[in-house]
Amino acid sequence: MLPDDTGAEGQTVIVEWFNIWHQWIFENIVQPMLYRMEWMSFDELAYDWTHLFLLGALEVVLLWALIRPLELWLPVERWESRKATRVDVLYTLLARLGVLPIFFFIVLTPAFDWVNAQIRMAGIIPPSFDNLLLYVVLLDFVDYWRHRFEHRFNIWWALHAVHHSQRQMTFWSDEREHLLGQLIAAALRAAVGLAVGAPPATFVTVTLATAAIESFSHANVKLSFGRIGDRLLVSPLYHRVHHAIGIGHTGRTMGCNFASVFPVWDVVFGTANFTHAYLPTGIDDQLTGRDYGEGFWRQQWLAFRRMAG
Amino acid sequence: MLVEPMRYLSSALLLASAAMAAPNLAIVLNSAEETLSVIDTATMKETKRFPIGKEPHHLMATPDDKFLIVANAASNELVFLDRTTGEVKNRVKNISDPYQIGYSPDKKWFVSASLRLDRVDIYNPETFQVLKRIPLPKAPSHLAYSPDSKMVFITLQDTNELAAIDLETQKVTWKLGIGKQPAGILMTPDGKYLLIGILGDKYVEVVDWKARKLHKKIYTGKGAHNFVRLGDGKHVFLSNRAENTISKINMETLTVVDSYPAPGGPDCMDVTADQRYLWMTSRWARKVSILDLQTKQIVKQIPVGRSPHGIYLVSHAPRK
Repeated sequence: MLPDDTGAEGQTVIVEWFNIWHQWIFENIVQPMLYRMEWMSFDELAYDWTHLFLLGALEVVLLWALIRPLELWLPVERWESRKATRVDVLYTLLARLGVLPIFFFIVLTPAFDWVNAQIRMAGIIPPSFDNLLLYVVLLDFVDYWRHRFEHRFNIWWALHAVHHSQRQMTFWSDEREHLLGQLIAAALRAAVGLAVGAPPATFVTVTLATAAIESFSHANVKLSFGRIGDRLLVSPLYHRVHHAIGIGHTGRTMGCNFASVFPVWDVVFGTANFTHAYLPTGIDDQLTGRDYGEGFWRQQWLAFRRMAG
Repeated sequence: MLVEPMRYLSSALLLASAAMAAPNLAIVLNSAEETLSVIDTATMKETKRFPIGKEPHHLMATPDDKFLIVANAASNELVFLDRTTGEVKNRVKNISDPYQIGYSPDKKWFVSASLRLDRVDIYNPETFQVLKRIPLPKAPSHLAYSPDSKMVFITLQDTNELAAIDLETQKVTWKLGIGKQPAGILMTPDGKYLLIGILGDKYVEVVDWKARKLHKKIYTGKGAHNFVRLGDGKHVFLSNRAENTISKINMETLTVVDSYPAPGGPDCMDVTADQRYLWMTSRWARKVSILDLQTKQIVKQIPVGRSPHGIYLVSHAPRK
C-alpha cells in the first residue's frame, strides 16, 4: 500500500506484475465463467477469491523455497521415505489455494449475514475494528482456547488427532486437519470477525500472515528463536514440543504449547513448556499400533469412527 | 436592447469564473483497500491516497454542493469530505452498512441500500436518525427516485426484481420481475422511465414505472452495470463490465447511439465539465481510465488502489 504522499509509481514491479496476472486470470477465465453460469452477482467476491488463490499459490511457493532448504540443511529427523508427508501437501494446497476457505465461506456466510442483519434490525450496530495487530492478537487468543479445547474434549480430539498423527512433521503439516475441525475453526474466526466488525479483506491479510508463521513452526528444522525469542513467537522447537509423543497430549491440561503465534497465552494460562529437546512427533497410541490412516479420505473417515467411540 | 445580451454575458462570466475556481480534482474510492485516492485532473496523477474506512463503494455531493459523502459499508458510517480538497471534515457513525446512498430530489429523505444485509434504511437527512428499516429480499443494490420524491426504486440484485417504496408510508408498494442481477438504475429526464443495467445479461431494462411494466430492452453489452449522464439532458453512458465497453444511450429514443472501449472492468463514471472526457474506474485493473469521447481512445490510465469503485470529478458536467 502506498503512503499518503506518494504517487502510484512507487509500486514495485513485482506488485504490478502480480496485479496484471490477477486481472488477466479474472477477466479471461473467472468472469466469463461467472457470466455463463449467471453468477455475476458474485463478480466482486470472485475477484477477491482469485486474488486469494494467487496470493496463496505465491505463499506456498515462497514457503517451499525458503523453508525446504532449511529442512534439508538443519533437519531434526531424516527419513528413508517421505511418502507420509505427501498427504500434507494435499491438505496445504486445499487450504492455501482457497478451495476449503471458499467452501466454508459458502456454508457459513448466509448464517452469519442473517445474524448480522437481525442484530442491526434490533438497532445494534457492531463496532468497527481498525487495528490489524489487535485483531491478530484477538484471533490468536481465540485460536489458543479453541486448540486447548480440541485436546481437552475427546469428541473434538477425535478430529484434531488427524493433525497430531503425522510422525513425519514438516512445514506442510500445518494444514493437516480434519475438514469438520477446520469448519469449526473457520466458524469461530468468522464469529470473532462479526463481533469486532472486521471486513473480509482484513481477515484474509491476517490469515495469510499467521499461516506463514504456523507453517514455519511445523518445519522439520532444528531451530529455536532463543531464550527470549521463543517466548515472543512460536518457533519450530517450541511447537515440536507440542507435537512430541508423550508430551503433546498428556497431563492435566492434555498437552502444552497450544499457542499458534504468540506463546504468551501458554505462559499466562500455565501451559508453556520450554523444554529444549527436538523430540519425535505423533500420538502415544501410534506406538502400540493404532491406525490414524495414511490417505486423505481414510484419515477423514477414521476421525468420525473415533468420534462415534 | 442590451439587457438580454448583458444578462447572458454576466451568466457566462459567472460560469467561467466558477469553472476556473473549481479545483481540478478527482476523488476515487478504492473499495477493497479501504483508501481514497485524490487525483490532480490537470496532471492526471494521483497526489494523495489515505485510509478512509472499510468498503467505501459509493459517494455523492450534498445538495448544497459543499461536501462529498462517502458511504463506508463495512465501517457503518458516512464520511463527509470537503468537496474541493477531499479532506475529511466529519464522520457520521451508526449508519448501518451503507452501500448505495441518495437524497430525494426534495431533500426530505436520505435513503441507504444495504446490499449485504438485505435492507433499505430511510434517514432524516438533517440529523441522520434512522426513520425506518425496511427488510427486502436479497441484495438491494442501487436506487433512484421519482421526480416528485414520493417513491424510491431499488434494484434487488439476487432476486431479479425492482422494488418501489412509498416514502410517505415507508412501505414497499410493489415489486416487478426484471432481468438477471439488476444493478445501476436511473430515471429519464422526462420522468417516464427507469433505466436499469442488467449485470447478468447484456441489456438495459426500460421500465414504465407508472404503468408498473417492462417497456423495452436496450441491448448494450455483457455485464450492463451503471450509468452517468452526459449532461446535455439527453444522453447517458452505461458501463458494460464484462464486455469492457461503454454505451451511449439516447434517453428520448431509448436507443444506443455510440459505443466506446473501456478496459479493465468499467464501473462508476463521471464526465468532465467540458463533456469531452469520461473518467471511469477500471475495477479489475486497479486504475482510473480516461476516455476521450471525441476520438474514442483511452488517453490515460492512472494507477489507484484495489477495486476502485466510486468516482467523482469536482469539476463535472451538469447532472441532467
